[in-house]
Amino acid sequence: MSKRDSKSGSISRRRLLATASAGAALAASPLGINLLHAQQPPIRIGMSMPQTGGLAGGGKPSLLGIEIWRDDVNAKGGLLGGRKIELVVYDDKSSASETPAIYSKLIDVDKVDLLFAPYATVPTAPIMPLVKQRGLLLIGNFSFQVNSKVGHDMWFNNAPWGPPDSWASSFLDIGQKAGGKSMALLAADQEFAQNLAKTAREVAAKRNLPVVFDQAYPPNTVEFSSIIRALKAAKPDIVYVASYPPDSAGILRAVNEIGVGDNVKLFGGGMVGLQFGTVMENLGSLLNGVVNYNSWLPEKSMYFDGTKDFFEKYTKRAIEAKVDPLGYYLAPFGYASGQLVEQAINATKSLDQKGLAKYLRENTHKTIVGPIAFSADGERKETAVLQAQFRGVVDKNIEQFRSSGKQVILFPENLKSGELVAPFEAARK
Amino acid sequence: MKRSNIAFWVGAAVFLVAIFVMTQVVGNQYPFFAGYVILQFIALAVAWSILGGYAGYVNFGTSAFFGVGVYTAVFLTKAFEAPLLVQIVTAAVIGALMGFALGLLTLRMQGIFFSIATIALTIIIETTVMNWRFVGGAAGIQIARPPATPPFDNYVQMLFFVQALLVVLAVAISRYIQNSWIGRGLQALKDDELAAECTGVPTLRLKLLACVISGALLCAIGAPSAMYLQFANPDSAFNLNYSVSTLAMSLIGGTSHWSGPIIGAILLGTTQQLLTVTISSEVNVLVLGIMLVLFVVGAPEGIIGLVRKLRGNRKEGGT
Repeated sequence: MSKRDSKSGSISRRRLLATASAGAALAASPLGINLLHAQQPPIRIGMSMPQTGGLAGGGKPSLLGIEIWRDDVNAKGGLLGGRKIELVVYDDKSSASETPAIYSKLIDVDKVDLLFAPYATVPTAPIMPLVKQRGLLLIGNFSFQVNSKVGHDMWFNNAPWGPPDSWASSFLDIGQKAGGKSMALLAADQEFAQNLAKTAREVAAKRNLPVVFDQAYPPNTVEFSSIIRALKAAKPDIVYVASYPPDSAGILRAVNEIGVGDNVKLFGGGMVGLQFGTVMENLGSLLNGVVNYNSWLPEKSMYFDGTKDFFEKYTKRAIEAKVDPLGYYLAPFGYASGQLVEQAINATKSLDQKGLAKYLRENTHKTIVGPIAFSADGERKETAVLQAQFRGVVDKNIEQFRSSGKQVILFPENLKSGELVAPFEAARK
Repeated sequence: MKRSNIAFWVGAAVFLVAIFVMTQVVGNQYPFFAGYVILQFIALAVAWSILGGYAGYVNFGTSAFFGVGVYTAVFLTKAFEAPLLVQIVTAAVIGALMGFALGLLTLRMQGIFFSIATIALTIIIETTVMNWRFVGGAAGIQIARPPATPPFDNYVQMLFFVQALLVVLAVAISRYIQNSWIGRGLQALKDDELAAECTGVPTLRLKLLACVISGALLCAIGAPSAMYLQFANPDSAFNLNYSVSTLAMSLIGGTSHWSGPIIGAILLGTTQQLLTVTISSEVNVLVLGIMLVLFVVGAPEGIIGLVRKLRGNRKEGGT
């Protein structure tokens, strides 16, 4: 027994030596270096995202865009010499009352390295004072003027908005160039639409453009024929509409039945919903002639380094994830959010929030949605909100929107892909 | 009776001291953020069950009262930079007036008609606030917190403690009502309003009282929420979720005893908070739905009812 014991003991000692030397050799080899790096802690990015509730239709594609970025970076070996990206995501149910607790958990319990904001203004607004107080970097996600009162200098919005009035001014520019001398305003009584309407009124006042019709309607209105009749009677040249998905459809149906009159040169501007694949598919030919805002469109001028690759991946994964099959509006900007922090981390070689914020503020960043530079308030220096006109759209075909020419970009100048067809009634045909 | 009174107040004092010590000792902010939401729902559920539970008038207008509380605070902050206490007291007064108006409604409406009227109340007030530009209108409004009052070094910790005080206040009132002539009167009118009236129970006076107390509490509980979020918009403040959750919490806990809504709110509120940060998807909503269905089928009188039934069975088995 004792013999066997000693024998087995010697074998195990020998084995131990062998294992140790093999381990040392492995550590020294390139494979070993990779293994060691893989053990480095990941870079954790925390966020809430509306995955249920009213904003889920936007939140899900946005998250998919961010996930594609994560997978691309991790496939390349991560950041800071091999640290992989890990996302910590909670569902905020599209509600402002959920986000303070979620972000407090991300900061104090999960101790994430970086923070992304949820999609849209309402869930983002309550966390702005929190991140300002803690001095944390926050990459915004399509919220509108959420930092204007808070004044946080480490906030950077991925959205193409730019200065607050640029949205209305670009639309009115197009209308005035087409000979528009008066404006009608139709806006939903909801947060985003009212913000747009407010800036439109201000821009119109600055330009002495008379507002001949100014109507707000309650959310969830479905029947617009009386409103459109009243609008038609006011004989405006430019009709600026700020609406939400269900009412956008209702307004276009009413316009199709009643018409808006021959005066109207330009119709649209701020209609939410006309950026989403399924909504566009449902509306089909009703969309023709409408000039509306957008963030990304498959026109030649919109392809930058990596854009095509991104959409190839997105199109495949959108089917599995059951999200917007086109995903033009939000998904590439989710990816761009990732690219912003990726470039800042690579340049500063650290996760120091102040350093990252300084880099983001002072440089122009290459992304799949074009170059991004920030002004002092964390919004884009220049607006990149597109105004595009729907043309030649047929009914019940989502694939048509993948080809160029269905939404011709009229603004901004550097991305322009065609000229306005006016008046509106002629463009509808 | 007296001994149980002492036990209750000692318990309440221990609870408040524990909450206070927590605000002074715990450095991590998350427990306060999550805890605030849970305390808020406990208070809401208790306040709701004064009318909904004891009197049996199902009020779907919790979100109307809550939202009015939020916007009272927003208005007072924006117009006068009023301190938190003034916001809460003013909200309570406005809530009492609203409750009085709601109580008058019960003269003409009962049962499902009353419930529908309370939903209408939410919609009317929400639309009004949506068109009131001074408090932000439909776009909502961001408000800044003043510095916290010592001994609290953080505003969220202070709000957490304030909400705990409101919980104790709501529970004490609810308990007092249950054990007094008011509770017995409400119980009588819940069973049969006409019979109660005939036997001399002052039904209108009791209903008005229940509405006023419940309304004042619901509004007061909403007021600190403005400072908690530092943002208010009609969609969030008048969210139907407050009505539905409060109702579900009271029903799951049981409405026949003051402790029912507390149990329900702790159970459902904690589950909601935990699910938000664990299973983060539609499953979250699904789990809550399944819980509701299970309770409605398995324990129609809530946890309190279930416990009583089990105790009753055991006694029967023993004898």
